[in-house]
This record gives sequence, C-alpha cells and structure tokens, in this order.
Amino acid sequence: MRQRTQTLLDNINKHKTLILIYIFLCAVCFFSLFPLFITVLNSFKPQAQIMKSVIAFPRTLAFDNYKEALEEMDFFRVFFNTAFITCLSVMGIVICASMAGYKLSRNKSKLSFFLYLVFVSSMLIPFHSIMISLVNMAKLLKIHNSVWGLPFVYVGIGVNFPIFLYHGFVKSIPVELEDAAKIDGCNEHQTFFKIIFPLLKPINITVAILQIIWIWNDFLLPLLMLTNSKHYTLILSTVMFRGKYYVEWSKILAAVVITCIPVIIIYMLFQRHIVKGITTGAVKG
Amino acid sequence: MIRNMKKHTIPLLVFVSPALIAFILIMLIPMCITFFYSLTDWNGLNPEYNIVGFQNFIEAVADDYGFRNSIFFTFKYAVVMVVLQNTIALLLALLVNRIKKGKTLLRTALFMPNMISFVIGAFIWSFIFLQVLPTIAKSVYALRFLDQSWLGDSTLAFWSIVIVSLWTGIGYTMIIYLAALQNIPKEIIEQSKIDGANTFKRFIHITLPMIVPAITVCLFITMNGAFKQFDLVYALTNGGPGKSTRVLALDIYLEAFSSNYRYGYANAKAIILFFVVLFLTLVQLKVLKKREIQL
Repeated sequence: MRQRTQTLLDNINKHKTLILIYIFLCAVCFFSLFPLFITVLNSFKPQAQIMKSVIAFPRTLAFDNYKEALEEMDFFRVFFNTAFITCLSVMGIVICASMAGYKLSRNKSKLSFFLYLVFVSSMLIPFHSIMISLVNMAKLLKIHNSVWGLPFVYVGIGVNFPIFLYHGFVKSIPVELEDAAKIDGCNEHQTFFKIIFPLLKPINITVAILQIIWIWNDFLLPLLMLTNSKHYTLILSTVMFRGKYYVEWSKILAAVVITCIPVIIIYMLFQRHIVKGITTGAVKG
Repeated sequence: MIRNMKKHTIPLLVFVSPALIAFILIMLIPMCITFFYSLTDWNGLNPEYNIVGFQNFIEAVADDYGFRNSIFFTFKYAVVMVVLQNTIALLLALLVNRIKKGKTLLRTALFMPNMISFVIGAFIWSFIFLQVLPTIAKSVYALRFLDQSWLGDSTLAFWSIVIVSLWTGIGYTMIIYLAALQNIPKEIIEQSKIDGANTFKRFIHITLPMIVPAITVCLFITMNGAFKQFDLVYALTNGGPGKSTRVLALDIYLEAFSSNYRYGYANAKAIILFFVVLFLTLVQLKVLKKREIQL
C-alpha cells in the first residue's frame, strides 16, 4: 500500500507541470462554458424562481418560456428568412467570386490587374463607413426591406475577400487543363464550370463557411435593411424580443437558447471544416 | 489589337461583371456618396443643402467632445483587446499544444463562444452581470466583490465589454495560433531539446520566429475587429452609461439614424473612421512586413 502511494506520488511529481496545465485549462473551459450553462439552466425557470436564485436547479422543467419565445419571435418564419438569406448570399458570393477570381488570376492584362487591385483594396473600407449611404442606395435600387434584396447587398459587400482567396488558389491549378478542355471543344464557360469549379472545392468550402458564419450571425445590416417584422432574421428578431421584455429573463433566456441551438448543431457537425476554414482563411488573408 | 481585345477583354468582363456590378452598386458608389455628403450640411430629408467644405471634419475633431471621446474610447478598447486577446490566446494555444489527451475537446469548448453571435453573447452576459454575479456575491461572502454595477459604471462597463469580447474572441485567435504551432516541424523542437535549450529559450528562439505569420494575422484581425466593434456594445451597454462606451461605429450609427438629422455630419464621421482604419492598417502592414523580413 505504502509503495503504491509512493509510486503515485512519484508519478504526480513527474507530471506536475502537465497536471497544472490540465487544471488551468479546465478553469478556462469553465469560464468559456459557464455562461452557456447558466443560460440553459435558467431558461427553464419561471421568472420568480430566477429572481430567487440563479444557481439552483429548476424545480420543474417549465417549457412555457420556450413556447412564448417561439411564438412571439415568430421563430419558424424568422428561421426560414435567415436560412434563405444566408443560402442565397453564400451561393451568390461563391459563384460571383470564383468566376471573377479565376479570370482575374488567368488574365494578365493591365485592366485585370487594376480590377483585382480595386477589389483587394476595398477590403480596407469598414462597413460602418458606407452604411449610411448604403441605406439610401438600397432604397433607390428598391432592394430595401426585402429578403430577396439583402443577399444582393451581401454579395456586394462580401465578394472582395473571397476574390482574393480564389485569385491565390487558381494559381496552383495548371493552365494545361484548360488548354486540353479547349481542344476538346469546351467554351470558356464550360471550361470554368465543368473543369475548374470542381477543382476549387477546398476553397469553396472555406469561403462558404466563413460567409455562413458571418451572415447568419450578422446584426447591423439586417437592422438597417429590414424594417418589416415579417422579414426579420433570427438575430434581429431576438434583439427586438429583448427590447420588448428588457429584464424578463425567463423569456429572454429561452429566446437566446433557441437562437443558439441551430448554430451549436452546425458547429458540432462541421467542427473540423469550420476550424480548417478559419485557419486557411486567416493564413491566406 | 481589336482581335486581342475580343479574345481577352470580353471574357474577362463577362466573368468579372456579376461580382463587379454588385460591388460597384453596394460598395463603391455608397463610398463616393459618403465622401460627397461629408462635405455638405444636408439633413437627410431636405432636397436643398450647401457644400460646406471641411467644416464637418473640423467640427468633429476640434469641437465635438462626444466624438473625441468615442475616438479615444475606441483606441483604448483596441489596444487592450489586441494585447489581452493575443497574449491569452497564444498562452492557451501553447498549453493546449503541450497536452496529449483531450486536445479536441478543449478546442471545442474554447471555440464554442465564437460561434454565437456577438449580440446573443451580450445578452447572455448582461444576464450574468445583472443577475448572476450579484446573486453569487450575496450567497458567498468571499466573492462579495462581484456585486458591482458592471454595466452602470463607466470604468466597469469598459471592462465588461472587454470581458465579453475576450469570451467570444479568444477561441478564434487561439485556433489560428494552434494551427501555426502544429505546423512547426517536430525535428526542430527535438534538436533544440538535445542542444539543451529550456522551455523559455525554446519559445523565444524557435517557436516565436516560426509563428510570426500567425501573429501578424492575429494582430491584424483583432485590431480591425476592435475598430469595427458595434454589435456587442449595442447589445450590452448601447453606449451607456451616458455616452461613455460609445465606440466609433455606434457613434456614427446613432448620429445618422437616431439623433438630430445631421446627415452630412454623420458622413464626415464615417469618413474619419475610414481614414483611421486605413492609416492603422497601412502602419501595421509596414511594421510587420519589416519584422518578418528581419526574422
């Protein structure tokens, strides 16, 4: 017995730093996950119980909060709106940016270089600098307050960085492939969509992931563009909900959990792709 | 010449035009309009306005105490965020990289807050600041210092914003650092161990130079993110208490959309934000490029 304790102590001594690291990292994880945990915990309590104690477990699981939040946020409609806007925007960005990035990379003329420069330097423009005029512009183009118009705005704002990514990636694809396709009788568009586009898959995934995270969670642009509650996105609807119930935490927390669930599910399913997308996007940027 | 144009320029334009049209209508023209109106006294409604030159800019920089304050606040926020977020994220990445078991689990947990939108994060934390921390303070005597007016006091509100920003942001930068650390060839580390370098020396002379590109990227991302912060402040304090936590983007938003119809003036502020970001980015690129070549 004594010997066993001794070996255990030896082991602890040997791995002291490692154990300290684990303890520290667990503490950090606690800091990271505790807010989510406390939110879920309290979302099942009636308001009176929250005011009494936030740490206690709920006595009964009350789904009333959720029912009210779902109904008042018009969840299914806003969820559909958000999904629709995100899908259309991302498809638009992937197609427009890959076409532009590909041709700008292959064409060596001065015009091509100039256009590329314009796109890349526009990455320096903060959205907040153009937002005031953008609202007027959208009203002028009649795309204000519409779930069909918003994706167009996202394409306009979001296309520059992906063009930069595609431009870099296309360089690694041999030109011979296109020459061969041309000999086989493909025209420019067929060559791009049948030969090149499938080869862009890794960068397509990166671009799509970065844009989905951005657009799904975006708040300011929908706030500026969508004034009719019929068109609200998930985040916008939650903000309006919070504005209405200010400190009625039971309802707000239920709404918060509902809004988080789709994101967490997506994150759990595609974690590897997301992490890879972010690192490639960052390193290239 | 003409044949060359037909062969090259037209396909170029065909491929680029979908992106270009959206880009021109949504980014370029609004940017030009913003420049133009920043030189006027337009109120946003009246069809008539006067061109007043740089008067808006002079007023914003020289006379507008609130705006100067928000510039100062944004700089302070950006500096604190760049330093804290990168130091903590790099430290965490180094630690996570050292352990063998549970790496993925830790990464999942630490990155999770980043997936949640700033606005939702702010709601979660306002619950914690207003409800959870005071309750904990009441029930645990040793933690009674937690009972503070986290969002009601201007100094504490600043740190509350920093805490929530770190909560969402650290995971993101940590992932980038972690990827960079994992790309360091194992042989180099082994060799330095054989040569007798201790952990600290190894970090300074081997690890740090190897991850300079990642540091460049992360500094850039955190700095830019801090200067464009809007969502979190809007949802957490809405610039309050008073006007003490109005970041630049929020100040522009409130000037343009909710206060006194000084449309031209709001546009001048927007242009100032543009130049601030432009200036900082160029300085950063220059400094970091130099450093990279030296190493």
